[in-house]
Amino acid sequence: MGLLQGASELFPISSLGHAVIVPTLLHWSFKQSDPSFVPFLVLLHLGTAGALLVLYRDQWIVIIRGFFTAALRGEMRTDAERLSMLLLVGTIPAATLGVFLESRIKTLFASPYEAAGFLVINGLLMLGFEQLRRRAERRAASSAASRVEQEAHFAQAERISFRAAALVGACQALAFLPGISRSGVTIGGGLIAGLRHEEAARFSFLLATPVILGAGIVEVPQLFSSGVPVGEYVAAAVLSGLAAYASARFLLRYFRSGRLDPYGWYCIAAGLISLALLHFSL
Amino acid sequence: MRSSSVAVGLGVLGVVFIVVAALYALGVLQILTSTTSGPHYKHAVLFAVLAVASFVAANFARPKTAA
Repeated sequence: MGLLQGASELFPISSLGHAVIVPTLLHWSFKQSDPSFVPFLVLLHLGTAGALLVLYRDQWIVIIRGFFTAALRGEMRTDAERLSMLLLVGTIPAATLGVFLESRIKTLFASPYEAAGFLVINGLLMLGFEQLRRRAERRAASSAASRVEQEAHFAQAERISFRAAALVGACQALAFLPGISRSGVTIGGGLIAGLRHEEAARFSFLLATPVILGAGIVEVPQLFSSGVPVGEYVAAAVLSGLAAYASARFLLRYFRSGRLDPYGWYCIAAGLISLALLHFSL
Repeated sequence: MRSSSVAVGLGVLGVVFIVVAALYALGVLQILTSTTSGPHYKHAVLFAVLAVASFVAANFARPKTAA
């Protein structure tokens, strides 16, 4: 589970959807209705957040310093200061919606059938984001250029507008639906806001870190009070972090010229196959 | 948009958020929670973050004097 979650968390394919569907299909003795299931997933997410903190450790130091400098001065003068405020603005909608809606949504849509259905929708969203992006590329008259040159027409994360940052942040709330990918919708939102693919991925990963850490800090104590094998769970979180680190490195390299399409097609295929397997109880 | 009144409004909002955070942490406030008793630290942390954001926004909205 740790490897699965860590590997799938940052890919735009919905780790939560996989965490709901795969144990059912493989007949793992994992009770998703167990009170320790969500805190266990949160512990795995903490592994992912740890990996992101390690990956972006230098940037986070600059961002945190920039946040305090800009907050006290009441003015943004550097890219790091602007990025810190963009992350704050992007985090607030996701955190607000998460606190008030997350448990209700997860309870409503926690079945493997629904997760498989949302996985198909996630795939369609990825393809839709890329269609919109291709239109923007055509408007920028960059269709004849190479992919790297095409990407150069688009912006860095620090240049995104505050309104767009809030919208991208709010998109994270869609990921409470098992099957909808947090990184997918935030990378897609970043693309629509005019970011390069690699920068949209970076913004998505930076945006995910405070929300995942915050959720973890609040939920993990429940895990330790519910009589579960903590040692095994922590080992799973470490594996999750290692897999997430490798995934993030791969994705940042991939998105220098790659698109969301392959992940979109994967989600559609995986969702449809899962629906069929669940329907025929294979 | 720099304006003293906007800055004051955001500052007041920040204070309101701190009060709400404290009420959730103490278990006095039970609005929009999954259980109807006990403290709600998740809600308290959220409102504390909103308070910080409001104070930061208030400082941004405050008219700056020329150096």
